[in-house]
Amino acid sequence: MKIISALTWLLVLGLASCASGDYRLFHPVNLVAGVEWWSTLFEVGIMSLIIVPVALLIVWCLWRYRKGAGAAYDPEFTHSLVLEILVWGVPLIIVAICGFVSIRTIHAVDPYSPGVLAKAEAAAAPIDIDVVTTDWQWLFIYPAQHVASIDEMVVPQGRVVHLRLTSTSVTNDFYIPQIAPMIDIMPGMRTEDAFDAAKLGVFTGFSADFSGAGFSWMQFATRIVPPADFSSWVARAAASPNALSYGAFTKLAQPTVNEGAKISYFSAPDPQLFDKVVMAADSGVVYPVSNELTRSVANLEIGPAKPTGAATK
Amino acid sequence: MQVAIEGPWSPLFGRLTLDAIPYDNPIIIGTFAFAALAGLAVAVPVLYYNKLGYLWREWLTSVDHKKIGVMYIILGLVMLFRGFADGMLIRTQQAIAVGPTSPGVLGAQHGFLPPFHYDQVYSAHGTIMILFAATPILTGLTNVVVPLQIGARDMAFPYMNALSLWLTTAGAILVMLSLFIGDFSAAGWVGLIPLTELPYSPGVGVDYWMWAIQISSIGTTLNAINMIVTIISMRAPGMGWFRLPVFTWTTLSTNIIGLTAFPVLGAALALLGADRYFGAHFFTAGNGGNLMLYTNLFWIWGHPEVYFLVLPAFGIFSEIIPTFSEKPLFGYTTMVAATFAIAGISWTVWLHHFFTMAAGPDINGFFSLATMLVGIPTGVKVFNWAFTLYRGRLTFSVPMLWSLAGLFLLLLGGITGMMLAIPSVNYTVHDSVFVIAHFHCMVLLIGAAIFAAVAYWWPKVFGFVLDERNGLRFFWSFILATAVVFLAMFALGFEGETRRLDYIYDPAWRPMLLTEETGMGIYCLSIFFFVRMIYVSLRDRIPVPADPWATSRTLEFLTASPVPFYNFAVTPQVNARDELAWRRAHGLERAQPQAFEVIHMPSNTGIPFIIGMLSLGFGFGMIWRIWWLAGFSLLGIILAVIIRSFDKNLGYELQPEEVAAMEHNLATAGMFAEQPARIQLTEAEAH
Amino acid sequence: MATQTPPSEGVVLFHPHFAGHDQISARTLGFWLYMLSDALIFAALFAAYGVLNNPMGAAGGPIATQVADPVEGFWQTCAVLGSVATYSLGTVALKSGNKGGVMFSIVLAILLAFIFLGFEAHDLLDLLAKGDGPTRSGFLSAFFVLVATHGLHMLFGIIWMLVMLVQIPLFGFNANVVARLLNLRMFWQFQATIWVILYVYVYMIGAF
Repeated sequence: MKIISALTWLLVLGLASCASGDYRLFHPVNLVAGVEWWSTLFEVGIMSLIIVPVALLIVWCLWRYRKGAGAAYDPEFTHSLVLEILVWGVPLIIVAICGFVSIRTIHAVDPYSPGVLAKAEAAAAPIDIDVVTTDWQWLFIYPAQHVASIDEMVVPQGRVVHLRLTSTSVTNDFYIPQIAPMIDIMPGMRTEDAFDAAKLGVFTGFSADFSGAGFSWMQFATRIVPPADFSSWVARAAASPNALSYGAFTKLAQPTVNEGAKISYFSAPDPQLFDKVVMAADSGVVYPVSNELTRSVANLEIGPAKPTGAATK
Repeated sequence: MQVAIEGPWSPLFGRLTLDAIPYDNPIIIGTFAFAALAGLAVAVPVLYYNKLGYLWREWLTSVDHKKIGVMYIILGLVMLFRGFADGMLIRTQQAIAVGPTSPGVLGAQHGFLPPFHYDQVYSAHGTIMILFAATPILTGLTNVVVPLQIGARDMAFPYMNALSLWLTTAGAILVMLSLFIGDFSAAGWVGLIPLTELPYSPGVGVDYWMWAIQISSIGTTLNAINMIVTIISMRAPGMGWFRLPVFTWTTLSTNIIGLTAFPVLGAALALLGADRYFGAHFFTAGNGGNLMLYTNLFWIWGHPEVYFLVLPAFGIFSEIIPTFSEKPLFGYTTMVAATFAIAGISWTVWLHHFFTMAAGPDINGFFSLATMLVGIPTGVKVFNWAFTLYRGRLTFSVPMLWSLAGLFLLLLGGITGMMLAIPSVNYTVHDSVFVIAHFHCMVLLIGAAIFAAVAYWWPKVFGFVLDERNGLRFFWSFILATAVVFLAMFALGFEGETRRLDYIYDPAWRPMLLTEETGMGIYCLSIFFFVRMIYVSLRDRIPVPADPWATSRTLEFLTASPVPFYNFAVTPQVNARDELAWRRAHGLERAQPQAFEVIHMPSNTGIPFIIGMLSLGFGFGMIWRIWWLAGFSLLGIILAVIIRSFDKNLGYELQPEEVAAMEHNLATAGMFAEQPARIQLTEAEAH
Repeated sequence: MATQTPPSEGVVLFHPHFAGHDQISARTLGFWLYMLSDALIFAALFAAYGVLNNPMGAAGGPIATQVADPVEGFWQTCAVLGSVATYSLGTVALKSGNKGGVMFSIVLAILLAFIFLGFEAHDLLDLLAKGDGPTRSGFLSAFFVLVATHGLHMLFGIIWMLVMLVQIPLFGFNANVVARLLNLRMFWQFQATIWVILYVYVYMIGAF
């Protein structure tokens, strides 16, 4: 009885807190996230067909067959062919169904070319954005618009967004809840992601894969705006006095924590900037993070730099 | 070929300087004070009662599987406590450091742990809990129980058993040392790549992590060999394969996993070591390295590893549930089949840990299917436990309660695991606290199994009861804490919180984070009850009979409580599965052997302890690049092995009169008794 | 199993004078299992080599055809297979308890193993001198570590053989020594097997 009442209390508590609107994953805002959310619901639903009866069976047995309750006692009941067929067979069928759904949805939300976006992509040309992560900032390069921004990605509503992603230093993980499926971002490699900008709004994106001391401050804003606003945003960014040559980029890529995720813009990014970053990483360019720097991140007591001495073996 | 490293280096001390000791960190100073007090609390009574010689003769040089098992469990419990302290630090930091206006103390801008420390804390938490708490405790449990369950006197290789223990201990000591000398890894328990490469982890932290795991993994692999040979070669007469207790079956499959998976981890870490020590390019981003190679190699070990931990837990449930249902286990054969199905399939699912690494829909699809397949035999086990309860006569003893709690945790962990097995769901919750909550359901079911097993076998091993009242309070507070912390964590996962954050930028997550912190407070209460339980049990020492639970079914409960160091005075003949239940049904459970006989026992030896300490020296030397220390330690290990091989190692014999006397007065043969010096056999006598 | 009928006469509950397990077979079984774990280490190293043996992995440095000469490797193969053959022939002498015979074949095996290691060391040192060491590229890292790991195993085998050369005259063929000689034979044959796989996978396939 204790277990049942405890569980019921917890269930009530859980359901009550679910009413809060902060459950981002429960509120997808585009097709891709919609498929992901539907998969979640489906999976929970179909697995409950097994889990809930088993849980109830166990709870019932615990109550019914406790010593002294006078219920039937059958120590010979150790084998049953029918039950074996059921407990192997029914889960097998359910796994087959889940497997089918899994494969279908994998293709629907494949970050490289989501099946669910095939129609939308045919309707309007996608927007291409190159994403480069550094320690610990996000750089968004718009090759067609010739602008770039730090920690802000703006896209016009109604278009599909294609991303190419790479990192200058360590692995990150591109993630915007409610909008984009996660994809790893790795140095020296190119990954891709895609999502549709269906609803207006401001969303927070971040890296899900730990990347070092400044990781917790590595957010970026994603704004889905009306097409007119997008054009004026592009114009504003293009008016920036800072051009993003590869040289300027290497300075920007030095390890730094962007507290408050302050946004800045660049005009005229190097057209091959993304590829140059990939090739640089491939040829061994690293942006090392010294112990000194790691210790000082988010630490109020930044004293005078301790002498590091000559680096020997 | 040596690679340039940051910081000074000297031939005598390597990278070690006084700067490595964190004088200015109050948390570490406090921890050191606590550890020193705890150490004194142990050392002072030992010295006062003049027990140093006893400790060396009876424990540190022991090759008795029961003592080795108990030492494994003690090691694991100490590390469990340290791991919990780390968990407490993580949760408290995340409860405080929420939002840009959150306060900061002790030098941190938000919370009390700047990222540099916080990252080490959670890396240590994961590494300790998996490899230095759960693994040693489970290894200890199988060490104690399996030879008794198969009617053997000891493991197949008692010396190697001790060696495994001391290698694991060396690894654990390295992890503890990293608290006070230098730093631990700040790259997660998995060693995120290329974060663990020199440019991004220039300090000694990753080296501590790497060597601690390498050294203890050798111990684990040796133990796996030992366990498998023991089960194959040392079963009592009449114990055919299908009379083996299910716990022994799960131990066999677990150690087959361990034997085959741990070498891959060793290779992965060795290659990372090549990168860090020789400047190789296995996993660097540039110069031809492939960082995805590390991830694959690590998780090829990493997934079988979790089954390495969970299968013994399933075996524990399969022993306890039938005992306290007064019924045999339902579906014995399918339970065994399911165990090996799980072990086999576990080798084919590793990519589900990184669906987001863009392997493509076809590969992701294969691993998704394989992952879901492994749920089928797991489900069969749950059903069989449920059918064992059905029409049984259930007693809700402390071990039974823990096992049932483990069952429910398995159900919750299972459904969330199936969700994670679907890539389209995975793309929304990968590396989020939803995943953390999922795997904590699994590790806490392993924890529940551990507490169940300790409660179940404690009276058998030590000969007195484990206090039930505090045991119940420990259980209920622990389960309540688990529910509060991890249900809140699942909720946070759906709110979008990702993992490994030192500073929480979204204040909307504060309520759930505070809920989790409340749960941590309840965990602290449960630890208080645990300590009180041990204290009361040791204080009262209420003796128990051979079969303390009165309804046990397997062979280990045939021995006296506490188990004499030679286990069985005469090897039992096995007549059925669940031999003790069979004998009880035929009124034969109190039968004693007609006559006693000569028993051949292995001798104690200090070499495993010495090799353990030498490997500690080797690890420390490699970490700090003190080449002379590493070199001499390695040489010492090789010499110790060679010297040991010249030891005739013939053991000694217990004469029948001695055995009879000890059977009559069990206190002289139990775990804490001091044995007189025994005459070693000569070559002539041995044949 | 849980019935209350009394057992028939002659139920045996204890087995006095149980001779226990066969020491030597338990030890050889244990050693087989160790070699299984060793095989997994090599499997991981072969996998790493397979992943890194491509133009990207070579990072502009030498590729397999330029570092792994199948003709050179052929002499190494002869040396290691010869070493295994001589050692294994020694176990024929073991059957008749012929200490001298066993020791002689062990000495030959050690010499041939040193020839093998000599070839290997010469190759690797050559590459290092040219600047094509493991720090040059991912492919070379994999090549060096794979070859060197096998070489290290051979070195440990040689040390083991030297120890046996001391123990055979000292102890004769007692159970310990015989178990060790049998395990060493298994170890040696296993090392030769790994070399053959290495030779085919790295030297032959890589060279064309």
